[in-house]
Amino acid sequence: MLADALEHLVRGIVDNPDDVEVSSRTLRRGELLEVRVNPSDLGRVIGRNGRTARALRTVIDALSRSGPVRVDVVDTDRR
Amino acid sequence: MTETDTETPVPGGAENDATDAVADKPAGEGEDTSRLEAEGDIAADYLEELLDIADIDGDIDIDIDHGRAAVEIVSEEDGGRGLRRLVGDDGEVLDALQELTRLAVQARTGDRSRLMLDIAGHRQARRNALTELANEAIAQVQTGNQDVSLQAMNPFERKVVHDAVAAAGLVSDSEGVEPNRRVVIRARS
Repeated sequence: MLADALEHLVRGIVDNPDDVEVSSRTLRRGELLEVRVNPSDLGRVIGRNGRTARALRTVIDALSRSGPVRVDVVDTDRR
Repeated sequence: MTETDTETPVPGGAENDATDAVADKPAGEGEDTSRLEAEGDIAADYLEELLDIADIDGDIDIDIDHGRAAVEIVSEEDGGRGLRRLVGDDGEVLDALQELTRLAVQARTGDRSRLMLDIAGHRQARRNALTELANEAIAQVQTGNQDVSLQAMNPFERKVVHDAVAAAGLVSDSEGVEPNRRVVIRARS
């Protein structure tokens, strides 16, 4: 559910929604959600001073029923 | 960011509620209304699908208030308990969601949005409590003839206080740096 919620939230704020991918991994410390977007949308997802990424984390954390979730925005340009 | 509560909007930037203090531009009213209605519709779609995915019960109300789209998520089912999570302890989730919703509107319209989001009446309740607090401080300034400094508040809260002060015919400004920025109500000199 969290991955779907995150994907929806990100798709809504980018120019290339079809390029949005969210993968979910379970780490020892909890769930990790990795977001990949079109490189041209990277700035949108991160926002000024990381503000948008922080907003995404805040909302996803609030939706989690199973402890803390890590949300990483992956820069596919520099992978 | 710390200069004044009415910072200049930055294109593409997520701004805070401080821009609420910017005066509404007089524009062609009909055109304005349909633009704001479109904003509300985009926001409602965005939020409705989120509620759906998260299995949270809620309905979306769309309105236009003081020249901006006003969207509220309401729930009658369980007294809005499911929505409490979307407000957060200090309204921080609500603020985050408002920011994302504004960006979602902007992504579709190409224009910055000043849309206001409320959830389960949180902002309205906060606004009422703050106005009461402001009125007490205003009375104090008027009788004591001394500046009164209020507790640290976020931009939305300061805006509510500034409005109450202006309505009382007094002047206020903000001092300090976030998150310790506070409103000071000036005594008439």
